[in-house]
Amino acid sequence: MNILDDISEFLQQGKVPKVKELVQQALDEGIEPKAILEEGLLKGMGIIGGKFKNNEVFIPQVLIAARAMNAGVEIMKPVLISSGVKSKGVAVIGTVKGDLHDIGKNLVKLMIESKGITVIDLGIDVPPERFVEATIENNASIVCCSSLLTNNMMEMANVIKALEDNGIREKVKVMVGGAPVTQEFCDKIGADCYTVDASSAAEAALSFCA
Amino acid sequence: MKTDMNRWLKDLRENSVKKALPILSFPVIQLMNVTVKELISDSDMQANGMKLMSERIDSAAAVSLMDLSVEAEAFGSKICVSENEVPTVIGRIVESLEDAENLKIPAVGDARTGIYLDSMAKAVKLIHDRPIFAGIIGPYSLTGRLMDVSEAMIKCYEEPEIVHKTLAAVTEFLIEYARKYKEVGVNGIIIAEPTAGILSPDLIQEFSTDYVKKIIEAVQDESFIVIYHNCGNNTIQLIDSILDTNASAFHFGNAIDMAEMMKHIPVNKIAMGNVDPAGQFRNGTPESIREQTLKIMNSCSKYPNFVISSGCDIPPLAKWDNIDSFFKAIKEFYQQ
Repeated sequence: MNILDDISEFLQQGKVPKVKELVQQALDEGIEPKAILEEGLLKGMGIIGGKFKNNEVFIPQVLIAARAMNAGVEIMKPVLISSGVKSKGVAVIGTVKGDLHDIGKNLVKLMIESKGITVIDLGIDVPPERFVEATIENNASIVCCSSLLTNNMMEMANVIKALEDNGIREKVKVMVGGAPVTQEFCDKIGADCYTVDASSAAEAALSFCA
Repeated sequence: MKTDMNRWLKDLRENSVKKALPILSFPVIQLMNVTVKELISDSDMQANGMKLMSERIDSAAAVSLMDLSVEAEAFGSKICVSENEVPTVIGRIVESLEDAENLKIPAVGDARTGIYLDSMAKAVKLIHDRPIFAGIIGPYSLTGRLMDVSEAMIKCYEEPEIVHKTLAAVTEFLIEYARKYKEVGVNGIIIAEPTAGILSPDLIQEFSTDYVKKIIEAVQDESFIVIYHNCGNNTIQLIDSILDTNASAFHFGNAIDMAEMMKHIPVNKIAMGNVDPAGQFRNGTPESIREQTLKIMNSCSKYPNFVISSGCDIPPLAKWDNIDSFFKAIKEFYQQ
């Protein structure tokens, strides 16, 4: 097994110290940063994402794997920048105004990041204008809105309206999700994409970056 | 009212026509023309609301508010209260082992736990035609609210001692809280442990079931039973551990296939579920909820231990036309 496979394997187990150690070792050995990122870290996270989709692993295992991935990426950041490795796209994500829940949103964020997409996390209780500002500031091509509360779901429609009012609706894909959200609701408010789980959301986001 | 709850459970299993037991409490705000904020702060309003609800719906039991912020607030968490949504816990108060070791166990009656206990004491004097269940949170779900849910999951692997220290404290409190409900005369509790429903099978036993068992062992007897609620999406994979809690009955969410779940439930245990509270009761139509209710009843009623219910707590602004349609669909099923 080579060092990139080891990185992937330890990442899947959520072993932060081992992932950090091996990423540093790989860099020291002169392995291309792009290869460490894609064949080690993102590969491991992709495997976890697939297993999560198939109910072979559970949310806690995804969370510890994502923490290990982030630890590895942190070490690589300077070299990734200097070697010109770019992210596959930029997504803005947040739980809509009036809603303070974030487990689902955080999970989607981790899964999208595992596809090599930069995710700007706006947190919870995010007003429509903040989605717009962040989209413009970061030149994002994807806007992800999350909600757990039935009364606040319509805030997603307000996000879409705010994007329209600011003339950037056509430049972005709007993804919606959360326990009460359905495909019917997505269609009704004019969003571009609804997915039933975090893994599918990440796949959809990647398809929008192609 | 003292009731032989084992007999009640037996009757529920043996009756060919079974009444529904939805987690239906907050929508009473529409009947009383009050806000959630007012309801959660007033024991008279809660007791009168339960009485009003028991007159309005033909349910197997009366249930109190499923407000999963009450206990966390008693421990010192901040909560967000709004006019029309169930309160939410904000932030976290346990970040380190030191925080967990120094966690002060509140007295039962602190914060709004006193109001909720008082409301039950009043409700038992008003409702005599069906058992009354009080709602309390489960130990891991409360721990998640004190630590932050994602952190509580990660720490199960990385710093399990913090989780166990917090669980020990909250379990001590929940046992006393449940005992007080027993003292005021309710017939049981519905213990809501949804956060455990997203754990993995290797974690749920250690970080949830073993603590739920302690609570149940402390209070459950022939006059006071525990219904275990878990609306997480992994409950079928976790069912062996969930059954190990030894609760008298189980209540599951709409994220699972109820007919598949019934295959795993022993015949002597009641299992309830699982009409979608948000998609149907809140956002559906009378036609769509009728359809889903009949579908679940058609697939599950061959099991004598199945009782139709909502998949979780029904949102405050659920449409009453949909609630009425749910009950009509049950009648329609039995008239077929």
